[in-house]
Amino acid sequence: MIGMQMLHAVALGLPLTILVTVLSLGLGTVLALPLVAGLRSGNRAVWLFTRGIVDLLRGIPPVVWLFILYYGVSLGALRMSALQAAVIGLGLVSAAYLAEIFRGAIGSVHQGQWEASSALGFRRGALWARIIGPQAWRTAIPAYTAYGIGLLKDSSIASTIGVAEIVFFSNQYARQSGEGIFVFFIAAGVYILLSMPLGMLSRHLDTKLRKAVAR
Amino acid sequence: MKGLFPDVASILPTLFGGLQVSLTLTFLSLLFGLPLGLLFSFGVIAQNRAFRYVSVFFVEVGRGAPALVLLQLMYYGLPNVEITLSSLASACLALVWTTAAYTAELIRGGIQAVPAAEIEGSDALGMSMRDRLRFIEIPQGLRIALPSLMGFAVLLFQATSLAYTVAVPELMSQAYSTGSSTFKYLPAFVAAGLLYLAISVPATWLSVLAEKRLSRHL
Amino acid sequence: MVQPASTTTENVIQVRHLAKSYGDTVVLRDVSLAVPEGSVTAMIGPSGAGKSTVLRCMNLLEKPDSGEIEIDGHAINAGEKISPKNLAALRRSAGMVFQHFNLFPHMTVLRNISLPQERVLGRNKDEANTKSMELLTRMGLADKADHYPARCSGGQQQRIAIARALALGPRVMLFDEPTSALDPEVGVEVLEVMKELASEGMTMVVVTHEMGFAANVSDELVVMADGGIIESGDPHQIMSDPQHERTRRFLRAVLER
Repeated sequence: MIGMQMLHAVALGLPLTILVTVLSLGLGTVLALPLVAGLRSGNRAVWLFTRGIVDLLRGIPPVVWLFILYYGVSLGALRMSALQAAVIGLGLVSAAYLAEIFRGAIGSVHQGQWEASSALGFRRGALWARIIGPQAWRTAIPAYTAYGIGLLKDSSIASTIGVAEIVFFSNQYARQSGEGIFVFFIAAGVYILLSMPLGMLSRHLDTKLRKAVAR
Repeated sequence: MKGLFPDVASILPTLFGGLQVSLTLTFLSLLFGLPLGLLFSFGVIAQNRAFRYVSVFFVEVGRGAPALVLLQLMYYGLPNVEITLSSLASACLALVWTTAAYTAELIRGGIQAVPAAEIEGSDALGMSMRDRLRFIEIPQGLRIALPSLMGFAVLLFQATSLAYTVAVPELMSQAYSTGSSTFKYLPAFVAAGLLYLAISVPATWLSVLAEKRLSRHL
Repeated sequence: MVQPASTTTENVIQVRHLAKSYGDTVVLRDVSLAVPEGSVTAMIGPSGAGKSTVLRCMNLLEKPDSGEIEIDGHAINAGEKISPKNLAALRRSAGMVFQHFNLFPHMTVLRNISLPQERVLGRNKDEANTKSMELLTRMGLADKADHYPARCSGGQQQRIAIARALALGPRVMLFDEPTSALDPEVGVEVLEVMKELASEGMTMVVVTHEMGFAANVSDELVVMADGGIIESGDPHQIMSDPQHERTRRFLRAVLER
C-alpha cells in the first residue's frame, strides 16, 4: 500500500530527527549555563560580551549557522560532518534561547528567598542547589519543554545540509514518486505525534510541581 | 581569516536584492496571516462545529509541523492536486499558515489577559457582547499580545531563510549561489548572517521596548 | 425587608429572595430589598457579608442561583432563561460605579464616556460628546477630556466613571465601595459628587465603609452579615441603638477605631 510506503520513508528519518534534537538540546542546556552566569554578571564588560553573544546567536537564522559550520568552517583539511554541524549549530542557537529562559526563571524567584537564605547563612553552593535552583527550574519547565518541542521541529533544518532525518527522506520520496502532498502531510503528522508526549509530560510535571507548592 | 572581511564586504551589497525578497515575504505573510490568526483565535473556541474543527486543524498543524515541512508541502505537494504556484506564492502560502497558527494562540492569550474589570465595565454599561468584543476585548487583547507578536515577526523573518529550499530567490538562496559560484562559502554566509542580524536584533530590542512600555501602563 | 420611606413613592428597585452559593460556601441567603424612588440606601457590614454580591447581582454581573430582581420595571427571574434584550434594558436603567473605576485604559476620558452612549443609546458622536463634556464640566474635569485614564488621579478616575454611568441617563445608581481604593482626602471629592447626586433626587444604592456617608446622607441603612440582611431602617436609629448583637459588634469595631 502506498500509505505504508510513505510512512516507511518518513520513519527512516525518525532516528536522526530524535538524535539531532536530543543532542542539540543537551549541548544547548550545558552551554546555556555560562551564558546565564554572564547575563547575570555585575561586571559591565562581561555582561555586554555575553549579551552580544546571545543576540548574535539568536539574530541569525539556524539554517545560516548550519551552512556556516558545514560549508564554511574547516580545520585544515578536516570538515565537519553534516550531523556534527547540525548538532553544534542548533546547540549554539539553543544555548542562547535557553539562557534567556533560565535567566527569566531565576529572576522570578522572589527576592525574599535570597535574603532569607543569606540571613540563614547558606553558602553559595547550597543556595543554588537547595533554594534558588529548584524554584527556578520549576518556573522554567514549561518554557524549557516548549523550546524542546520547537527544537524538534527545527531539527528538520538539518535536512538542508544532508542529515538523513524525516524531512530529508520525505523530500527524497516526494521527488521520486511525485506524491508530495501526502508524504509531507504524514511527515507533519509524525512531528505532531512526537511533540504530543513532550507536551503532556510538561503539563504533568507542571501540575505536579504546582500541587506540591500549592497554598 | 584575514581574507574574510574584504570578501564579506564585497559580497554584502550583492545580497541586498535577496534581503528585499526576504522582507517582502515576511511582510506578505504577516499581512495575510495576522487577520487569519485573529479569525482562528475565535475559531478554536467557536460554538459552530465546522468553524471550530477547521480552525483547530489549521492551528494545530501550523504549529505542530515544522515550517520547512509546510514549505515543501506547498511547493512539491500542491501540484499533486493540480495547483501549481510560483515558488514565491507557495512559500507565502506556507508562511501565512505558520503565521496564522502561531498568532492565533498569541492573540487568544492576549484576549484572555484583558483585565476582568474592563469586561465588567462594559457589561455594566449594558454594551452588547459584539460591542464588547469590538471595542474592548479585541483592541485591548491585541495591545497585550503586541510584544509577543513582534517577537514572532522576528522569528518569521528568520524562517523566510528556509524558503531557499523551494527556490525563492531570497537572501539565503542568493548567498548560497554566490558561495557555490565563487567557492567563497564562508564569506557569503557570514554576509547573509550579518544582514539577518541587522534586522533581527533591532527588531527584538523594539519588542522588548514594547513590552516594557506596556507593563508600565497596566 | 426594607419598608418604603413613604407609601406614595414607588419602589424603583425590588430584590426578592436572592440566594447564591459557590459550592458549599453560601454567599447570599434569601436577601430581599426594596428601594423607593429618590432614596439613598447604604449597605454596610463586615467584609464577606455579601454586600457587593447583592449589588453585583442587581445588574447581573453575577448571576444569583435563585430570586428575582426588578429595576425600573425590568424584571429578571434567576430561575428562568434571561433574554439578552431584557438584560440590556435592566443594565441601562442601572448605572454602576466600581471600587477600581473599571475605565477603559485604551480610550481617552471623552471616549470612555461617549462610546457607551453611542453604542447603547444610539446617540451620534456629536450628541454624545456634548453630553460627555456637560458631565465632565459638572465634575470639574473638562480639561481632562483628551487625557487617558492612567494620567488622572484615582479621585478623578472615579468621577469620570460616575460621569460615564450618568451619561446613559440611568434611573438608579449602584456604587460598589466607590472610595475604598482612594486615599481618604481624595475620597472626599467623590463623596461630594455623590452627595450632590443624592440631593438632586437620584436613587442610589451604596455599598460603603464610609460611616459618615452612611449616617448623614442615606435615607435607609442596611446592615448585612454572613450573607443576609440582619437589620435595616433609619440610619441614625440603627447607629445609636442597634437592635442586633452582630450590628453592635460591627459598629463598635468601625466606630471605635
